[in-house]
Amino acid sequence: MLIDIRDLYKIYNEGQESEVRALDGVSLQIDQGEFVAIVGASGSGKSTMMNVLGCLDVPTRGEYVLNGTDVTSLKDKELARIRNREIGFIFQGYNLLQDLNALDNVILPLIYRGTSVFEREEIAMAALARVGMDDRAHHRPSQMSGGQQQRVAIARAIATHPPIIMADEPTGALDSKTGRHVLGILQQLYREGTTVLLITHDDGIAATAPRVVRLSDGKIVKDEHQEVEWL
Amino acid sequence: MNLMQAFKMAFKSIASKKMRSFLTMLGIIIGVASVVIMVSVVQGMNKRSMERFEAMGDNKIEVYAYQYYETSGSVSELLYEYCLGMQDLVMGVTPQVDVWREITIKYGAKTFSTQNWDDWEKRISIQLGSDQFGVCNNYTLGGGRELSFLDIDKTNKVCVLGGGAKTLLFDFVDPVGETIFINNQPFLVVGWYEPSGVEGMSSMDNVILLPYTFNRTLNDNQQIQQYVVKAKSAEATTLAIAKLKAFLGGFITEGENGFFNVYSNNDWSSQVQEQSLMQSLVLGAIAGISLLVGGIGIMNIMLVTVTERTREIGIRKAIGAERKSIIVQFLIESAVICGIGGLLGIGLGSMGSLIAGKFLLQGMKLWPSATITVGAFAFSVALGVLFGLYPAIKASSLQPVDALRAE
Ligand SMILES: Nc1ncnc2c1ncn2[C@@H]1O[C@H](COP(=O)(O)OP(=O)(O)O)[C@@H](O)[C@H]1O
Ligand SMILES: [Mg+2]
Repeated sequence: MLIDIRDLYKIYNEGQESEVRALDGVSLQIDQGEFVAIVGASGSGKSTMMNVLGCLDVPTRGEYVLNGTDVTSLKDKELARIRNREIGFIFQGYNLLQDLNALDNVILPLIYRGTSVFEREEIAMAALARVGMDDRAHHRPSQMSGGQQQRVAIARAIATHPPIIMADEPTGALDSKTGRHVLGILQQLYREGTTVLLITHDDGIAATAPRVVRLSDGKIVKDEHQEVEWL
Repeated sequence: MNLMQAFKMAFKSIASKKMRSFLTMLGIIIGVASVVIMVSVVQGMNKRSMERFEAMGDNKIEVYAYQYYETSGSVSELLYEYCLGMQDLVMGVTPQVDVWREITIKYGAKTFSTQNWDDWEKRISIQLGSDQFGVCNNYTLGGGRELSFLDIDKTNKVCVLGGGAKTLLFDFVDPVGETIFINNQPFLVVGWYEPSGVEGMSSMDNVILLPYTFNRTLNDNQQIQQYVVKAKSAEATTLAIAKLKAFLGGFITEGENGFFNVYSNNDWSSQVQEQSLMQSLVLGAIAGISLLVGGIGIMNIMLVTVTERTREIGIRKAIGAERKSIIVQFLIESAVICGIGGLLGIGLGSMGSLIAGKFLLQGMKLWPSATITVGAFAFSVALGVLFGLYPAIKASSLQPVDALRAE
């Protein structure tokens, strides 16, 4: 089992009047190589779930074992290592560094990984080629369309070849055609063996994933497998 | 990630944010430069006033004495003899008399006047003194000889030229042995003094010294009232003043048959020093304030970018940066920006000092002192680094998700 959470809570302002239970006792197991869509209405706790699973945030309480390691006890250094090597993130707002060109953005995780200077550029260019952005390697984010920026962000996420990809509303800011292109890339990664976690509020988009987990008010209300439309 | 990598990352970040890097640098450049200029100017001014003071001489005792009726011989002769008697304390004594009436001085085709008030640089004054005039007034003999006791006793028509008067009359020709005409009377030049070397002091150098016995003819035989006694040291000055007061008090009773006064330049010296200390303090305070203002500028630009950089740090953490590598990157980044800014500030400040010296202090070669320069540099860089590091320290301890949320 790759991801194993049990009775996980993320509670904001606990004990106060404004208390929010973004995750309210969630248990979920995901095997290596699965493609899981997490769906739910806005505010149901999807992003919170991804942030905790991606070690971008810590749960209030509960168990989280990633690949056999109890993540809740890890320190900054080890968490950084997990974020760098085990997980690639794709955000709704791309989160590229505006002052760096596409290539340098993709090289960044390789630098933190400690990849040798001589290999970095080649690896980054290959990742850009994968998403069809190698011809824009020296463009800055501000010189690219939303779809192009998201493809660069995907290249950055896959540059270190992480076993897990987590994408939070990756198509949220894109038109449907570019959106489908991005989803196609995720499906392709899944078929190559990457574990993919896709967060969306849109059932149509969730239809691209073989397994759908539905959240409502911080609780899992449905968890089922389905036939997939391959893009 | 190793240090080399952190350096490269920092330089990449600086290069990719040219505008912000430049603005940060600008704050430091201006802060450092203004402090450097400010302090150089004060130090230059202090140096200037000390120079002037030193050129006029230390341990100089001014004696003012006047008798209603000259009784037992003239004060000049009595004082001269008395001072000879305390040679352990005193280096010399001379009457110090200006000739105020209009006198013309001629050499060849050149004519100068003691009353040329329109052009100070070309005015020559006539001074009357003894053979010890040079010693008493800190002049150094450049050539020839001083007046002699005999010149005074015999009222010889000889003179010694000050450095300025020598140049005005003779340019670079050796004047010794030449004859100049003072009110159409021929005077033999027997010696000349080196220029005092202090700018703006032409009145000290544009002088011609005659034996004081010419007082009779040139000043209508008015009594000589002013004398200078040069003592050997600060302690000797104090002792000599006491002795001179006792001596003069021996034959002048204040208000009855005359009056006298004895005082020393050393009092004034301590005043000058006190004044320059005050100047230093005031300008030091101004410099401190300008450094503070520069510092606040640095702080401002650094803090303005905190949220922008917080998001950047969130992104870097999300893709695997450790807290340590973020802090090291930011540390190097700020240190490099502030270091370069500081150096440019020192360069600009040094240039500014030279320009300020040229225009404010009559071409004085102003060069900022090392202490101030290093101090201003260190302060600015420390401030820049501190506040450049601030977002890194703050944001890198956040959960990545919280840093990413910064707008
Ligand atoms: N930092 C926060 N402080 C307080 N409440 C928060 C914070 N982040 C999220 N929440 C709340 O937690 C709930 C779940 O948010 P989120 O996981 O972003 O939902 P989703 O991604 O499904 O729209 C929401 O009610 C939201 O208002
Ligand atoms: Mg969300």
